[in-house]
Amino acid sequence: MNRDINNTEVSKNVSFFMALPAFVWLLIFLYIPLGVIVALSFIRKSVVSIWPDFTWAHYLTFFDSLYYSVIVRSLTLSIITTAVCLLCAYPIAYFLALHAQKWKNVLLYLLALPFGVNFVILSYAWFFLLEKNGFINNILTSLGIISSPLQLLNTQFAIYVGMIYCYLPFMVLPIYAVLEKLDIRLIDASLDLGATRFTTFWRVVFPQSIPGVSTGFFMVFIPSFGEYVIPTLMGGGKFMYVGSLISHYFSVLRNLPLGSAFTVASSMVLLIVALFFYWRFRRMVS
Amino acid sequence: MTRRWSQYTLPFFIALMYIFLYAPIVVLIIFSFNKSVSLFKWSGASLHWYNQAWQDDTMWIALRNSLVVSFCAVALSLIMGLMLVYYGRSFLKKIFFFFYGALIVPEIVLAVGLLSLFSFLSVPLGFTTLIAGHTILGLSYTVPILYARFNELENELTEASLDLGASTGQTFYKVILPLLAPSMVASGLLVFIVSLDDFIIAFFSASPSTQTLPLYIFSVIRSGDSQVITALSVILLAAGSLLILLLSSFKLKKLFSFGD
Amino acid sequence: MRNIRLKHVNKAFGDDVILENLSLTIPGGSFFALLGPSGSGKTTLLRLIAGFETVDSGEIYIGDHNITHIPINKRNINTVFQHYALFPHMNVFENVAYGLVVKGIAKGIIEQKVRRTLKKVHLERHIYKPIQRLSGGQQQRVALARAIINEPDVLLLDEPLAALDLKLRERMLVELIDLQSELKTTFVYVTHDQFEALTVADYMAIMNYDGEIEQVGTPKDIYEFPISSFVAKFVGSTNIFKGVLQEKNGGFTVEVPELGCFEVAMSKRRKFDIASTLLMSLRPEKIEINKKEQEGFANHLTGTVEAIIYYGRSTQYTVKLKNGFKVSVFEQNEEHFPHEVIDYDDVVHLYWQKENVVLLER
Repeated sequence: MNRDINNTEVSKNVSFFMALPAFVWLLIFLYIPLGVIVALSFIRKSVVSIWPDFTWAHYLTFFDSLYYSVIVRSLTLSIITTAVCLLCAYPIAYFLALHAQKWKNVLLYLLALPFGVNFVILSYAWFFLLEKNGFINNILTSLGIISSPLQLLNTQFAIYVGMIYCYLPFMVLPIYAVLEKLDIRLIDASLDLGATRFTTFWRVVFPQSIPGVSTGFFMVFIPSFGEYVIPTLMGGGKFMYVGSLISHYFSVLRNLPLGSAFTVASSMVLLIVALFFYWRFRRMVS
Repeated sequence: MTRRWSQYTLPFFIALMYIFLYAPIVVLIIFSFNKSVSLFKWSGASLHWYNQAWQDDTMWIALRNSLVVSFCAVALSLIMGLMLVYYGRSFLKKIFFFFYGALIVPEIVLAVGLLSLFSFLSVPLGFTTLIAGHTILGLSYTVPILYARFNELENELTEASLDLGASTGQTFYKVILPLLAPSMVASGLLVFIVSLDDFIIAFFSASPSTQTLPLYIFSVIRSGDSQVITALSVILLAAGSLLILLLSSFKLKKLFSFGD
Repeated sequence: MRNIRLKHVNKAFGDDVILENLSLTIPGGSFFALLGPSGSGKTTLLRLIAGFETVDSGEIYIGDHNITHIPINKRNINTVFQHYALFPHMNVFENVAYGLVVKGIAKGIIEQKVRRTLKKVHLERHIYKPIQRLSGGQQQRVALARAIINEPDVLLLDEPLAALDLKLRERMLVELIDLQSELKTTFVYVTHDQFEALTVADYMAIMNYDGEIEQVGTPKDIYEFPISSFVAKFVGSTNIFKGVLQEKNGGFTVEVPELGCFEVAMSKRRKFDIASTLLMSLRPEKIEINKKEQEGFANHLTGTVEAIIYYGRSTQYTVKLKNGFKVSVFEQNEEHFPHEVIDYDDVVHLYWQKENVVLLER
């Protein structure tokens, strides 16, 4: 059915122009910058002259194993963070949607709360716990479990903890949203037909929740790849991830072409991996 | 056996998760009242650090900057998003994927992109660049949310209004806008939080004179563990939880299903 | 009140042709029903009149006024939607007043008119209630009031009673008839329910699956003298026999293979050629069913009772003939204690008058 409001005295032209600003804004401030980055990645010198000379040189440097390892490290970070978040988030979402009648609103609110707090601060909160003189170490020492404080901060461990901590709500909420809309009568029907609770979950509940899982997956996987703050704060700048390397090129070295090339290269990797997962999810649904 | 699973194991796991979520926050709150400079040894309760935070000028400037940028971003993304959703129905379906671009691109790529664009055009970094970037983020929230809500509204309502003789403008003000208002407030709040929270874009597109709150906090943490930050954290925690309370009254979970 | 005329209207959605070269005249001031199965294009037709869709080609007139390209909000036509489409954020008063408010009419007059209109639909007591607190039937009436308050030339109703239960529907049908007589506005009523259509309509049009109008006429015309087997089967139910027309002894008969020759009356409305193949439509209520043989009937069939369905007022029998063909018969349950009880597997005799058969080409 034709849902256009253009069937009245508002001409098609006026409609078009009214809808345009958002479009144009996105074009200027999102797609053109992306284009600029791609263009810059091919330019030889840092200084952009009137007629820049194009080169593939920057991309060739990335076959150097150092940059490879950074990308791989970030991918590992993304995948592990996403996987752990998924494993932790699903039960939470399941519980909230299907079992927690009285506490549901309170728990949801508590879950969303960290989202409203500046996440630089949230990372800082972990400092407290993980510092050499920090809370956890103090407790463990005073309980006599360890003799000297553990190095918890500025480790890969700290980074992972920070990542999972910050991204967990993003995984829970989409899954919750889908599970909440689930028709409980389907569970009743499955049990009525003789299935166990586990089979019911695996064959009825889980397949229906896949769209939510997919949304959550991408809401964690993609941003976590380019994450800068958490690896830098929690890792003390000791480990190079994609985010920190890009920042290094642009802010410290001020080498825009090389930085752009790296950005493009790592984005391509991300895109390919993400598309792979997207394709797998589509296969699961159909 | 299966009954035990859902009755005991699952809640236990959930409780563990929530402890994990709140442990740092609780500890932070407790220690913000710590009298001594040392962060980790408890030496009595005090509001000293709250006082210091209150008196820190740089902090107030950063806060002001953050608020200005955030309000602008919210206003722009709401207005443009609304106009797009209302007037662009016919072609929005075809180009909707265009907007998913803003969700797919990692924020750091967007940030360096803006930096490159503005350096290339020799535009000075500052408020404009910040607002531009934050509005992009904002649009990726307002457009899907408003679009989903607009679709939900019975299409018949627009037709009914026109059928009764109202012009498109009247239809918009009397029917669409009131029904869209809750979604607008919710998505506006969401954009406000995201914008206030944003570090990456601010980091790359801000000049020294336009420091936002997250940047300020980051620099203080990096430079020397000032206990002031702890107090500030708690204040922001309280503010953030108020915002979330507001937001949750608009059915928070609905907002996160827009990507499906 | 002026006629509505559609002339050579074409409407397609992409490759889907809904209406092709459709022409129709709806008499002004009448209660007109548009009846057809789902997907027949009747709703599209209604939406074209309302202005929600524009014709690909063709014209629409109200009286002499060509409204084909006039936008929705400028036509003096109002619609009652299938799902009511009441504004959820307004109460009853605001919903009903909407059409007047947007035209800038003075508040005093609006209040007067709203009260008067609500009285017509028996909702005066609910005037300030939020619409969520109304029942389905009440919401229906608010939708009605909201439309008629604007005193339109034409009122369009798109299956308005579909969501109501049977008793409520029957009552609303009567109310609608009374309302239309009182207002004298042209009502165009779209439905797939033939009972509704037969009840309310002064005139009806039957549409088929291809978006064509099969027949236009009064309910009686359409029921007793259908123009095709589609109409005969869609409005009410019927038994169709296929045979060849013959002339015999000054009269006409139709020879049906395996069943025999049946006397028919040739109506003045349609003429058929001798030796042409045609269809006989015989409605179930026009057949008499008896266990004993009767005299004096021109047409007679024998069979066994295969199914019996009791409807309270009537009983439907399915009788299987010797060639396997099944005939449907309705008997009114006139007697509390019927003197003849017909049971399963009974051998029965079916009789009917030749005048009660309708001859059809297709």
